[in-house]
Amino acid sequence: MAHVAVSAIGADRPGIVAAVTGALVDRGCNLEDTTMSILRGHFAMMLVISTPAGVDAAELEAALAPAAAELDLVVAVRPIDDDVPRSPAGEEWTVSVYGADRPGIVHRVTTVLAEEGANVVDLTTRMIGDDERPVYAMFLDVTVPPGSDTGVLCGRLETLAAELGISCTAHPADADIL
Amino acid sequence: MAARPVVQLPEAVLVRPARPVERLDDEARALAIDLVDTMRSSPACVGLAAPQIGVGLRAFCVDVTGHRKARSCHGEFVLFNPEVVFAHGPIVGREGCMSVPDLTGEVARAARVVVRGLTPEGADRVLELDAFEARAVLHEIDHLDGLTFLDRVVGHDAVFRRKVYR
Repeated sequence: MAHVAVSAIGADRPGIVAAVTGALVDRGCNLEDTTMSILRGHFAMMLVISTPAGVDAAELEAALAPAAAELDLVVAVRPIDDDVPRSPAGEEWTVSVYGADRPGIVHRVTTVLAEEGANVVDLTTRMIGDDERPVYAMFLDVTVPPGSDTGVLCGRLETLAAELGISCTAHPADADIL
Repeated sequence: MAARPVVQLPEAVLVRPARPVERLDDEARALAIDLVDTMRSSPACVGLAAPQIGVGLRAFCVDVTGHRKARSCHGEFVLFNPEVVFAHGPIVGREGCMSVPDLTGEVARAARVVVRGLTPEGADRVLELDAFEARAVLHEIDHLDGLTFLDRVVGHDAVFRRKVYR
């Protein structure tokens, strides 16, 4: 079964998920992995869906056009490759970053993570606080290579946090299996 | 002596380690009273650390009396220079904080702890705590180390909006 990626974003209002998924179900598609959330007042959907034989991305984009027009959504549908390698395995860690907002926090933190071989598997950022003193908060789930020296990673994050005047801590996030 | 304003992120005093209380003098006792007064001024508040009222000293107050999640309950107490001498059994619970606007988060904390510190009168006090009282005290001691609950959330998807989306 082939897979396509569907993205849609538009000013939040009731009925967006129902309308988009309705058009997909009508074409025999099945929703697999999705994330959907409100980002600063806009409802953003990222969906990976499986498609039946003979249904391609162009046809789905056309099928979504009425819903997109009615709800004022920006919609894109693209085929994706099924033969992607698995993300690297490793120890699960959570990284918390927060502080006064300034440009470049995400880039600088993720650059350190990449240089240390840590792979970002989930990332959420939020602006909190009031408009006069906005606080930027970012939470990442990462995997670090098995057996790597996480002391080095934590030390580099600490140094970066001091430079940027923010808080940045990492801790193991391995689940307690009960 | 009165309730003081509670400071919020990104205030620097919240993210750097607090200094030990050197002398249990009138100033320290005034801080203890202000901590309790400030805690009392917010009905839902069950604990407050000195950095949250802008004071970078190792002191906090807690009172979980009447809280539905509390098991152990030592009433209202203030501790200076507290240390955790025993901690056992992490359990996950959702926390918010007067100094962290807008967000709550799932945090794993020890379910049983023994904490030692000094009372405002200078007496050595050892407390055995569990459940919600243990969580509250560990949350406050984190403030003394420059940490908020955001540093301990159990995953990127364990952070939640406390108010409306914007």
